[in-house]
Amino acid sequence: MRPIETRYALSGEARIAYQVVGQGSLDLVFVPGFISNLDLHWEDEGYTRLLRRLSAFSRLILFDKRGTGLSDRVDAHNLPSLETRMDDVRAVMDAAGSGRAALLGASEGAPMAMLFAATYPERTRALALYGGYAHFHKWVMPPERLNAFIATAETAWGTGATLPNFAPGRVDDAHFTQWWARFERLSASPTAAAALARMNAGIDVRGVLAAISAPTLLIHRRNDARVDPDASRFLAKKIPNARLVEIPGRDHPIWTGDVDRVADLIEEFLTGERAVAEADRVLAALLVTRIYDTTRMGDRVWSERSERFQETWRLLVGRHGGRALGTQGEMMISRFDGPARAIRCAAALREAAQGIGVASAQGAHVGEIELRGPPVGLTARVTMQIAARASRGDILASRLVADLATGSGLHFEDASRVTLDDLDEPMALVRAMSEQHLEPDCRARTKTTEPSVLTARESEVVSLIADGKSNAAIAAELRLSEHTVKRHVANILLKLDLPSRAAAAVFSVRHTGPDGP
Amino acid sequence: MLTKTQVVDGAAIKKAIESRDGKMLSSFYADDALVRVIDRNNPPSKPREVRGRAAIATFWDDICSRAMTHKVDTTIADGDSLAFTQACAYPDGTKVFAAAMLELKNGRIARQTVVQAWDE
Repeated sequence: MRPIETRYALSGEARIAYQVVGQGSLDLVFVPGFISNLDLHWEDEGYTRLLRRLSAFSRLILFDKRGTGLSDRVDAHNLPSLETRMDDVRAVMDAAGSGRAALLGASEGAPMAMLFAATYPERTRALALYGGYAHFHKWVMPPERLNAFIATAETAWGTGATLPNFAPGRVDDAHFTQWWARFERLSASPTAAAALARMNAGIDVRGVLAAISAPTLLIHRRNDARVDPDASRFLAKKIPNARLVEIPGRDHPIWTGDVDRVADLIEEFLTGERAVAEADRVLAALLVTRIYDTTRMGDRVWSERSERFQETWRLLVGRHGGRALGTQGEMMISRFDGPARAIRCAAALREAAQGIGVASAQGAHVGEIELRGPPVGLTARVTMQIAARASRGDILASRLVADLATGSGLHFEDASRVTLDDLDEPMALVRAMSEQHLEPDCRARTKTTEPSVLTARESEVVSLIADGKSNAAIAAELRLSEHTVKRHVANILLKLDLPSRAAAAVFSVRHTGPDGP
Repeated sequence: MLTKTQVVDGAAIKKAIESRDGKMLSSFYADDALVRVIDRNNPPSKPREVRGRAAIATFWDDICSRAMTHKVDTTIADGDSLAFTQACAYPDGTKVFAAAMLELKNGRIARQTVVQAWDE
């Protein structure tokens, strides 16, 4: 396969970098959001997946807006208008030989795409807008929050500090966090990022909405962390030929979360057909294993035990007929042909973890997965979210796992229903019970712990935790170092056998007497 | 719409394709025509199917809106069957080659199968 070529279109005096991928019968121009980098997109699994899906039915034209990625920078003291930036789309289409195209505008790309559609109706085949808006201050952030965002961008740009503003669901994913930091650095300098943010803050295209004649599809995630879903509801009312589809999820970038769902909607909208189900998808049980509460041991001990546990994990997964698919951050992902095998392996892993001196927390789920490539699909993400909710020693699973394991001799008890990012409905969870005759009872003990096990200092710390204070705030108040507070918190959790700070706070409230906890 | 003077034959198709005249091309098809496209993205067991003149018109409008060159080379006619090859190039030099087999019915295209491949 030929490498993807990056070319430059001339728009006024600015060079705009673009790429063309795919050979579908229709042209699709992707107008990206806040920042982008054409080269870096292809290094992220979600981004690659989205672009591959779209270029399977279109000739996909990608570009970096002026001021970001591989395109020319903008003069921070003389910011270009939205009209000038919109004209970059036309310049790229001309350079790519595209007379008429469908436009996919994501986030800040949406108002540009809308302006293009209103200005060049004869060149706009259709409009697909994801997480878009017509007025920045109304639906993204008011001026005072923008100033705080710009201040963060200027002081911590390039560290990934903006990630929680865009994809809170990915902040625990160490690999993605690193990628995001690179994405920031390679897409814009701190000055350019602040200039882009100021430029976007001026966006108000409410006046052109009625002039859009192209068929328009609006997609918005219901709990979008960056752009209020009301923004798309407003667009649906004001754009004459528009249809809105709200989908579950909170992560804002179009290449995060359930990318396939977004691609399905766009493909169906533009081609009239649903995507052909991929042949290399199979039904499988996934097990996600993580080490619970890593704060309790020093870095060296943690690193040794973690390594030993990973080795054991590979061994036990193989022994139970499964396949180790890989790790994502602290999550170890394995695949099994049936759910009962996955749960039995989970029980063995829980026991092995205890032997190594760590505690496990695991999640299992059943669904379709792709045979090739890393585990990044919906089933994998749901399983990871289940594992993230499991507490010390827990094996949590979706109800489906218990239903399919009927007759296996495994026992489950109902756990809570949880709302997961990618799913429309809350999901019922079950907890796998130990098989008494086969394995020792290693579930989390529900012993009653007395507050008297804590030292006076620890009691002080736990009261401050209950007040909602952070380690830094507690350190300041007790005149201790933050590291010492961290050790105290770890010891408190260990002594009380509690899974989290929140549980310690609840414990404190329950046991508060005249002398404190 | 098809007029009496416009006969659907190799020469008419060649002229319409090479001049990127989507409207003219669409007028060659019967109302319920079917175009099947087989390529890397649309394998033989699940070819892309474009049904009806309206959808076919959109299909040709999309292709003809591109600043690319098309050259229809070999045209073979046999009764109600017609076949031709088509060499295309994008402004950046990327080449596409297609072979098409057509079935005519009452002077219009009722069914067309296109097999295509491109540089990648």
